[in-house]
Order: sequence, then C-alpha cells, then structure tokens
Amino acid sequence: MDKIKKLNFNLLEELLEDIEKPGRYINNETGTKSKSPGSPAGQSDMVFMALVFPDIYDVGMSNTGLQILYHIINEHPDFSVERVFSPWVDFEKRLRSKKVKLFSLENRIFLDCFDIVGFTVQHELLYTNILNALDLGGININSKKRSEDSPLVCAGGPAVVNPGPLSGFMDFFVIGDGEEIVISILMKVKEYKKNNKGKSWVLKEISRLDGVYVPEFYKFYYYSDGRVKKIEPGKMVKKAVVRDINKYGIVKDPVIPNIKTVHDRFTVEIMRGCGRGCRFCQAGIIYRPVRKRKVESLIKDSVRGIKNTGYDEISFLSLSSSDYGKIEQLIEGVINPLKSRRLSISMPSLRLNSFNLKLLEIIQSGRKTGLTFAPEAGSQRMRDIINKNIKEDEMLDCIKMAFGKGWERVKLYFMIGLPFENKQDIVQIVGLIGKIIQAAKGEMDRKKLSRLKINISINAFCPKPFTPFQWVGLGNPGMLYDKFNYILSNVPKRYVNIRWADPYMSMVECALSTGSQLIGDVIENSWRNGAKFDNWSDFFNFDIWKESFKKKGLDINFFTTRGFSVDEVLPWDFIDIGVRKKTLLREYEKSKKFI
Amino acid sequence: MKNQKSLYDNRIRFKFFKKGEFRYLSHLDISRIIIRALNRAGFKLEYSQGYNPRPLINFSNPTPLGIESMAEYADVIIGGSVGEDELKKRINRELNQNVQITEVKKILIKAGKLMNEIGLNFYIFSLDIGESGSESVEEFCKVIDNNLIKGYHSYSAIFDYEIVPERKGYNIILLKLSGYAKIFKEKNNQIFKFNDFYSFLKERLKEYKIKIRNAKKEEMFVIQGDNLRTPMEVI
Repeated sequence: MDKIKKLNFNLLEELLEDIEKPGRYINNETGTKSKSPGSPAGQSDMVFMALVFPDIYDVGMSNTGLQILYHIINEHPDFSVERVFSPWVDFEKRLRSKKVKLFSLENRIFLDCFDIVGFTVQHELLYTNILNALDLGGININSKKRSEDSPLVCAGGPAVVNPGPLSGFMDFFVIGDGEEIVISILMKVKEYKKNNKGKSWVLKEISRLDGVYVPEFYKFYYYSDGRVKKIEPGKMVKKAVVRDINKYGIVKDPVIPNIKTVHDRFTVEIMRGCGRGCRFCQAGIIYRPVRKRKVESLIKDSVRGIKNTGYDEISFLSLSSSDYGKIEQLIEGVINPLKSRRLSISMPSLRLNSFNLKLLEIIQSGRKTGLTFAPEAGSQRMRDIINKNIKEDEMLDCIKMAFGKGWERVKLYFMIGLPFENKQDIVQIVGLIGKIIQAAKGEMDRKKLSRLKINISINAFCPKPFTPFQWVGLGNPGMLYDKFNYILSNVPKRYVNIRWADPYMSMVECALSTGSQLIGDVIENSWRNGAKFDNWSDFFNFDIWKESFKKKGLDINFFTTRGFSVDEVLPWDFIDIGVRKKTLLREYEKSKKFI
Repeated sequence: MKNQKSLYDNRIRFKFFKKGEFRYLSHLDISRIIIRALNRAGFKLEYSQGYNPRPLINFSNPTPLGIESMAEYADVIIGGSVGEDELKKRINRELNQNVQITEVKKILIKAGKLMNEIGLNFYIFSLDIGESGSESVEEFCKVIDNNLIKGYHSYSAIFDYEIVPERKGYNIILLKLSGYAKIFKEKNNQIFKFNDFYSFLKERLKEYKIKIRNAKKEEMFVIQGDNLRTPMEVI
C-alpha cells in the first residue's frame, strides 16, 4: 500500500463517547511490539499485517495462539503485525454512523491499508463476524471482487481446517501450525510488495508451501443434489506442522491487556496434540502429532514470564495435561521460586482421579474452587462408542474423596445426540447425577450438603471434519430437545444447575463445519440480514439462517442431519490433515462394535 | 502474628495521574495495572490472610470512566526497605507514560483507608457552548444558582462551583467543581456522589446545548476541621 491512513486520537475520543468498555479500543498495553509506519524501524518496504480475531477484545486477548503469532511476526525485522478485534455492537454502530473504517489497535491503521489481513478463526459461528470485519474495514468481502490494491486476505486456525464455506471470501487459507509458515508466507508477500508483482504471482508462489490452500487453484464439481462429485486437481494440501515445538519457546512477554479479559492470566502451552483418540474430538486429530515441551525450559520460561508480566495467575494449557507426564515437577518448579507472589495455577484439561486430586489441592492452594469432569456420556456403552476413557467407578471414587476433603462444587460435561444413542444412554446421564448426589450425602454433613452445587453442561454432539464421526449426521433438533427435557425433568433440582446449548445453534455450527463451498452464499446472505456474534445466544437468530438456506435453494438438513455416506467425496477431502481417511473410517467401524 | 510496627514502617502512599488513553480505563483496571507494575518492578507485596490472599493495597475513590485525573492515590505495604525515590523510579519504568507516579511518601502515622479519608474531590470542566451562544450559559448558571444549595459545609456534602472564561477559546469556559454535590430541589435534595453527578450534569447541560470537554480531576482533599489538606499532607 502506498499510503497508510490512520485514525487520529481526537477522532477516537469522539467515537468513544458513551461506548461500553472503551478500554477495548485504546491500545497502549504493556508488551505491544508493532513497528510504526514511517519510523526507522518501519521502513518503506516493511510488510504490514493485520491479525484479526473476529470476536471482541476481551475474548481475543485470552487466546494464546494470537499471542504466539503476534510475537513471531513482530520479532522479524521486515514484518510488523497489528491486532484487530471485532468491535462490540455499540461501537460498530458508532463506526458505521460516523463512516469510520475498522482500525488496528497499535497504530490505528485502517484495515484496508494493510498489505495483508489474516484472520485467526477459533469457531465456525464467528464466520459472519469475519465478513462484518472485512466490510467495516472497507474491504470487499468477495475475494473475486477485490482489486489489486486491496490487501491479501487469509484465514487460519482450527475452524478453517475445512476451508470450503469461507473460500469465496479468502485469497488463501493456512492449515496447521502457524509458527513457521507465517514467516515463509510473509517473505513472499515482501517480494510481491517490493517488486510490484501481481496478486496471482504471490498466490502461485505461496501455494507451493505446505499448509497453504488457494481456493482459486482448485475446482469443485457437484452432483445435482449438492454432494461433491470431484475435486481437481487431485494434489492434496498438506497441513503445516512444527516438528520441533521446543524450537519456539513460549511467549514470555505477551501483550498484557489493560482491561479484564475472559482469561486474565499468563498462559503456557505445555504440549500440543492429544493422544487420547476420543472419536468426536476434532482438536485431537488436527493438532497431531503429540509434542511436549521440555519441562526444564517450561519452568525457566514460566518463572521469567510471571516476573515479566506481573500476573498472579498462570495457566498450563494442553488438550490433556495429565498426559504431559511431569506435571508435578512443573508445578513445583514454578511455585517454589515465586513463593512470595501467591501464584494461583489453573490447568483446564486435567483429567481427575483419586491420584491427582492431591495435585489439584496444591494447585488450588486450599481454595477448593470446584472439580470439573467431562464424562461426555452417561453410560459405559456410549463412552466406549465415543472412546472416552473414563470409568464411572474411578470418577465416583474421586468425587467421594473430594467431597470428603471439603469440595462442594462439581461440574460435568455431557453430550447428547451422539451416534448410536438410545434411550438408556440418556437415562443413565440422570442416573450418574443421582449417584453423585448419593456420594455427597454419604460424605457431607447437613450443613455442607446445603452448599452442594452440581453444574451440568449439556451440548449437542456436532460432527466435525477429520474425526471418526465425520460421517455421522447431526441429531434432529426436535429429538435433542426431547432428550434434554427428559434430563431436565428427571434430575433432582435441589443441587443441580443445568445449562445447555441451543440445538439450532449446533445445527448452524454443523452446517458451517461440514459444509462445502455451496454454504458460502448462505453465510453472506445471513450476514447481510444481520447475523453476527452467532456464538452469543443473545444474538443467534436461527430464522435468519433458515431463510438464507431457503433463499439459496439449499436444504439445511442435507448439510446437517443427513450425514455423509462412507464412499462419498467429502468437501474437505483435498486437505491432508496428517491422519488418513482410511484410519478415521477404521475408527468409525470400531465404534460400532460397542452398539 | 506479624509485628504491627514493622507493617507500619513499610506503608507507602503514592500519587499518580491517569490521562490520554488511560482515562478510558476503569478504576479496577487501573488497580490491576498498578499491582502488576509493582510485581514487575520486583517489590514484595504483603498479602491478606485467608483462602484468597490479595495484595494489601487500597486506592482512593474512583474517578469516572473517561475523565482524566491528576490525583489518584494508593496505599501499599511493601516488604523490605526501599527509598521513596527509588520506588517511584522503579514503578514508573513499568508503567505506561499515561499513568505515572508523581509523589511517594512513607506513612508514618496511623492512617485510615483512603476511600474513607477523602472528603472532597476537586474537578475542572471545560464547557463547550458551541453555536448556542453565551446566553445559554448564563441561563444555565441562573438555574444552578436558584436551585442549588451552594457552599453547604457538612462533612459529606460540600458543593462549590466557579465559572470562569478560559483565556484561549472564545466559546470555552471553565467550570470548577468540588466535593460531593447536593443538588437540585426537584431531585429530593439528594446527595450525589461525583459519578452520578457527572452523568446528571451531562444530561442537564444537553438541554442548554452545552457539552462537557476535558473534565479533569485536579486534586482530592481530606477535611480537617476547617482546613483542606491533600492526602500527602496528612501523613
């Protein structure tokens, strides 16, 4: 871009009048690293990238992936990246009414002035926010309608491993780990900018890299009913993988938000990938192989990070922390040198049993905030089908022990609408909750019992690409309602709180996750009719989506409850995620043994 | 039990400002920012007892979101002996230029919580009368004069204001306002804390097409008898 246009502070002040949480839009955090355009560091051939998280600041700043990419790109002398988040509805309204484009935080550069705009997409229900951000930023949402001057637009992250639905809006996609590939891509973008090469040149160049998918270079053929007939060329796009994760240390000096965010703490990714093999779980497949960080460097870097940031909470992230192996060593190693700081520790994915309950006691330092279990299903039969390796006895033993030690709150995650589900599976969810209450009555006196809280979270199973259950259809929303209502009316109300996700929201999520390019028009139409923040139940409006499907001549059931037949070409078959379709199918067949 | 004496020795009061972008941060945000800066600067904070230990630090009353403040105060207990200047230097290095400590002083007497001690806040506003002309200001002042209980001196309800033309801007005047406001008669003569008063005043001014510009908290005072003293003067 020849000229970088920025929003000046006086105008921002005017825009922020009476805006909710203005701290979201003001930058000036400790730890920002972008280079200013025009400054000696920001020389003229520097590539300026906008990293867009299509949700509000409070959510986006809690994302570790964003911090990793931000750090890696800004460390490079030739590249500068700035953060952009979705404005909350009040600020969007203000921007639109004052005709001000969406801008980045660091230097308040308007979105359409960047060389490249990259979205990190964590959830399919944020697709409409992506279109909204492009539009607010003065960029045409359709890649084919964008001129040579307009920035390159790309997307990466777990919610675009099936790029089909967004392919009409993106110049390219990044599949897999971002650390290495983002630099390789930006090198080519630098050459493109410096030598005034065309967009088609740069897209051709980067399409040679593992992990880059350029929609323009692939052609889809469909049957008249909407199934995919053929994808050309046959060459697959291979996922980018960082083989040696220890080559990249954790981010020790992240951007520290000024306002309170969803997770206001120092985060440490201890390992990537998960070897558990739950058959519904997409993360378990797409983040493979399992890579652990060395405990010695984790300890050193975590202590450094806590000193650098001043945080008093640290979170050890992974998909299954219990499988890391050296958790105790890690925790001790971090706590000891920081004794005076009263550090609190969280470990979101710790699989609890009687053995590591002691560990949890150390972590929660006597606070006993609550125990979380994810049995996902009520019956052993169903847990075998989905390959969730939790035994009821083990879990109940742990819960009993916890109640005896003074815990008063338990949280449980369940899914309904799982493949091959029958009435008994649902009945046994209620049964399991009953057993937990019995356990509590056995361990707690009356006074304590009155404080017992069992929080139950129930989600509809949503089939995801690259999982053994990718062929399974989504449960019929009406039947999901019935199942949920059965649970609701049969659990004892006294101690139990139940939360559940709208099955129609799951329906849209399913269509967006497993859809093909045909879904693109539906997304655009829904967005034009006001769909945004679809992951927020206050904003989600199924009618908009239903109408959009109808308008585009598509049947939402075809994309959701139908499922896929095993010999069908799947819309994401051209992506090589690292696990073969054959392997996934074998796992699917295995699950049927338990029916 | 900790030796009370040693605790008193390490009590420190500091004054800081928040301006520019930082005036868009809430009181709680600023508190977190200051605590993290103290941690980064390597100071050993004292913590409260109990399951949820919190650093022993308390702040003066909140300034509303969006208003600059030249006078925010905090009392903190810090382990070890650190000189006042060194403390200021080390914390400021960890803070954004929009929030900086201007004064540090050891607390040598028994002092209560800042929130309870402060009896009076002093604010300055610029009023932008824009196109509406100076008559509307006069009208507004007359309404205030008639309806406002002015100069009412009790411990918790003191209100005073002064409107002076600002030198530079022709259509900008300066309103000086101090204390809690005991306000208009139709409002049941209730006492507003500043936060409520600010939004009340803003609404009121809209009727006269006057906008508040550059509201700023200038200072806070502790009331001792008939005297006003800054929080730094009383320790």
